[in-house]
Amino acid sequence: MTDCDAIIIGSGPGGATAAEVLTAAGWSVIVLEKGRNHLLDLQPPYEPLAHFANDEIALTRRHLLGPDPLLEPRTYRRTADDGDRILTGEVNNLPSTVGGGGVHADAKLPRFREEDFRLRTERGPVDDASVDDWPVTYEELEGHYAAVEQSFGVAGEDDANPFAAWRSTPFPMPPGDDMPMAVVSSAAAERAGLHPYRAPTGTNSVEYDGRPACVDCGFCGGYGCPIHAKGDPIAALQHALRTGRCELRPDAYVRDIVLDASGRRATGVRYLDLTAYPEPRLVELRAARAVVVACGAFETPRLLLRNGLGRDLVGRYLTYHFQTFTVGIFPRDTGGERGRSVTHLHDDLMIDTPELRAAASEAGLPWLRGGVVEHGAGPGPIDEAATYPRGEAHLTSMADSALRRRLWVFTIQGEDLPQAQNRIDLDPSVTDAWGLPAGRVTYAPHRHELVASAYAAPIHEAIMMDAGAEAAFSATSPPQDDIDLHATASPLGIAPASRHVMGTARMGRDRATSVVSPEQRLWDVDNVLVCDSSVFVTSAGYNPTLTLAALAHRAATLLAD
Amino acid sequence: MGACFDDDERARLGVALDAAVPGSAALGAVDYVERLLTALDHDPPRIWASPGAWSTSTDPGWLELGPWERHAWAQRIDDMRASYRRVLDGAATDVDRRLLHAHACEATYGDRAYGGNRRGGGWQRIAFPEPLFPPARETTG
Repeated sequence: MTDCDAIIIGSGPGGATAAEVLTAAGWSVIVLEKGRNHLLDLQPPYEPLAHFANDEIALTRRHLLGPDPLLEPRTYRRTADDGDRILTGEVNNLPSTVGGGGVHADAKLPRFREEDFRLRTERGPVDDASVDDWPVTYEELEGHYAAVEQSFGVAGEDDANPFAAWRSTPFPMPPGDDMPMAVVSSAAAERAGLHPYRAPTGTNSVEYDGRPACVDCGFCGGYGCPIHAKGDPIAALQHALRTGRCELRPDAYVRDIVLDASGRRATGVRYLDLTAYPEPRLVELRAARAVVVACGAFETPRLLLRNGLGRDLVGRYLTYHFQTFTVGIFPRDTGGERGRSVTHLHDDLMIDTPELRAAASEAGLPWLRGGVVEHGAGPGPIDEAATYPRGEAHLTSMADSALRRRLWVFTIQGEDLPQAQNRIDLDPSVTDAWGLPAGRVTYAPHRHELVASAYAAPIHEAIMMDAGAEAAFSATSPPQDDIDLHATASPLGIAPASRHVMGTARMGRDRATSVVSPEQRLWDVDNVLVCDSSVFVTSAGYNPTLTLAALAHRAATLLAD
Repeated sequence: MGACFDDDERARLGVALDAAVPGSAALGAVDYVERLLTALDHDPPRIWASPGAWSTSTDPGWLELGPWERHAWAQRIDDMRASYRRVLDGAATDVDRRLLHAHACEATYGDRAYGGNRRGGGWQRIAFPEPLFPPARETTG
């Protein structure tokens, strides 16, 4: 007796997409989500909930989207030389809530380019890094990209980016309104010979799929959308639920993946029902056909390691995007209080140019890749205020508002090369509120990231000055200088601030060097699929959500076939 | 609303909050702190203000916490109470001073649903525009 065809662990963009595909193919699925539900009514017709407001306190200070670090601490160290850990608390905390990381993202949804799947072939190896080709090509994934863009609803401008990969279909929607300062920074970038374009964004520019157009309220990146103009992943969840073949259970924390006697096939899961307190009820569910793991690249390896699945490779090759922020301080307001946080990008640092080759050669590297560069606004007023000193200087700083009202920033989502020693494992002594080992990050960037950052920063500072800034400076996350200073004074902290976490259950053709097959099945338990950014072979330099969803779409389609 | 502090303590706390962010006490920072420290005396707890009159919410006011979230907030609030006790006893640590600073910032520049930013004065001071989709604010003056 089974409960469904497939159990999906995690309701973010990967799990939601898998649910949409499998239910459309006639499968019954149960989606288990560790976090609370603030996204949509779980009864027909599955309308959006009204839990989100323009509220900096609830969203950025009081953990509305979870996880609460008191319940689910994570730990961080740079290398094993740091000892067991140097930080306990919040580390790369993506939302733990129905909808996962899609809820808080400002929904930049670019595709990867052809080269990103063939980096070893196109660019070659790099010492002390595991630069490999993916076992899937852009050509194989293109139709799945198109399908996910259609499901989520992506607004974009065809042919605007001269470096973009080919597309078989136009964007489902035209781009939304430009942020005024992005027009200014884009013009300056063009004068520097770069090629900015309107960002593909999973935010409705017109009414789409029964959800309204964005009104540019300004509370986008880091916030749930009050009117659900963001389609990722509420759209895919609604599509799955409306088939009548999907059940979504929040507050369901999967502890175990249950295997049959052979140890080669999953029969279901056991989860903690977190609606019960102080002792959560242990519930077992049985799946007839498959278990889909879509917990994100932090929690997926934690679950696999806890269950002894995937061997020592699980958790290794952790990548982020090495972020370089070039901040321009302008003599006038930049208007970032309204808009979708980021409306323009440029990709030039991803392209193989003589200038980048020369910079690489000078540093003793074979090549350099930066990442997509976001033209964006500053933080909210509380986050700004928290960076300023106490006392009268605080008032002067807030009135001057160099770090919010007059700020504009270029953020490089820099390609981070995979290294075996960068990993997520189980902390040897820190546990969560339910006694399970906390996830621990061990991470230090490769020299490639530092060289690419150092190359790009002065270029972006010059562009900021040309755009009219009166000052410009750059910083990175994770920081590379005084860690004690950053531990207490930096809004970004000492761990990587990037929420783009990837690579911890790599896909590959060789079971000796990968955790999952090209179909994203665990090599040793082939009815367990991984459908999140854990499977990334390299990090590329683009926001990962659309690619992880396209991969989930492909893997679920292959499973259903 | 439950109270954590007597009149003398409120006055001294106001001085401490003003030292972190001048003018924060006049904008309701003491109320902000007291409402947070007594948030679990209410049902639903006053941790997350729910959407305001613009929304289709049928339950304006405050969002429910799950039992484990309530557990975490109880622990957090206990720790905050201990911090404020040290502040009032003149024995504040660096951690306590950072908490005081954070709360002064939140009270001055956060939504007035939480008891601070009285009459939007904090936002007016920095020319921050009123949000299009504010949380419900029935509890503030």
